[in-house]
Amino acid sequence: MTLRACPREKEVSALVLRGQWPGACADELRAHVEVCRACGDLVLVMRAFQSGRAASAGAATPIPAGVLWWRAQLRRRKAAVEQINRPILGAQIFALSITIAIAAIFAVPQARQGLQWLKWWKQLGQSPTFHLGDLWSSAAAMPQWGVLLLIFGLAAVAVLSGLVVFSDRQRQ
Amino acid sequence: MRWEIVMENVATGEAQRAAELPMDNDAFAGFYERSARSLWAYLVRVSGDAALADDLMQESYVRFLCAARVWDGEVAGRRYLFRIATNLLKDHWRRTKSASIEEIPEELFAVSQNSGQFESQALLGPALKAMRPRDRQLLWLAYAEGYSHREIAEVTGLASASIRLLLFRARRKIARLLREQIAGDGRAQ
Repeated sequence: MTLRACPREKEVSALVLRGQWPGACADELRAHVEVCRACGDLVLVMRAFQSGRAASAGAATPIPAGVLWWRAQLRRRKAAVEQINRPILGAQIFALSITIAIAAIFAVPQARQGLQWLKWWKQLGQSPTFHLGDLWSSAAAMPQWGVLLLIFGLAAVAVLSGLVVFSDRQRQ
Repeated sequence: MRWEIVMENVATGEAQRAAELPMDNDAFAGFYERSARSLWAYLVRVSGDAALADDLMQESYVRFLCAARVWDGEVAGRRYLFRIATNLLKDHWRRTKSASIEEIPEELFAVSQNSGQFESQALLGPALKAMRPRDRQLLWLAYAEGYSHREIAEVTGLASASIRLLLFRARRKIARLLREQIAGDGRAQ
């Protein structure tokens, strides 16, 4: 396709954009547009688009500017909070990884020693210090104590759960 | 006071400062008033979908306000807005994988009898439908908005040198379609 632009296109397009075509233009230019293919296309297309623009712009029903302003502010604030929170999250991840590393440093020698402490735990039940067997048999002999212990235990769980929920709400 | 609360207060204060938009509310309202209708016209004619044009127009303004950009005048602001809208249209087409124009509501093409406007207003819709989305964008920016080749390149992201050729081809094609339609209407009458 050969690209042949007419040197008078700028002149013609300026007139159409200003709304001065064809009323306020010279007869000579009008005669030129009649015979020039490029200028004829330009006038036809520009007038169609200018009319189309006017019709579509008239059909637009834009929402109030304040709504968009408010939405933009919310989005910007959210993005800013996320940006500020990012280093805090990084610090938390760093602290967690340090904790895990320290725990591993302590756990490895323990594992090498063959988990000696498990034997100690098994012996604890048989130790004369604790008398766990006596405690069990006395609880079985007095069933009302068992019920009381259960009630106190459930109450302690309920109080602790309430504390956890309250603390979480406060944080939020 | 716990450290989380202290950090949260600091973060909220920082966020409040960061959330301050580059334009004040009144300046934005004026800019919006002057540019919203032409942006909507561009979006609806290029996409062929009024609901999509509504969504993209709102998103364009929100992104325009959120952009960390210094306000450098109405003309540049308007161009930047069209660029955002053009990118949103591209993203939409990429997502839906459909490059064909959808049905445009009839009322958009209705010509008011007393407007005294050029009769080809009603012809533009069908002719645009036959064009490729990129050609519709180029033609609209050049002949409806009156942008120069350099400005069109800035808005669309195409190379400035290729705009001239692409626009020339698109103009020739749509002029042929408009002439055929005018001739068809003449025969029908």
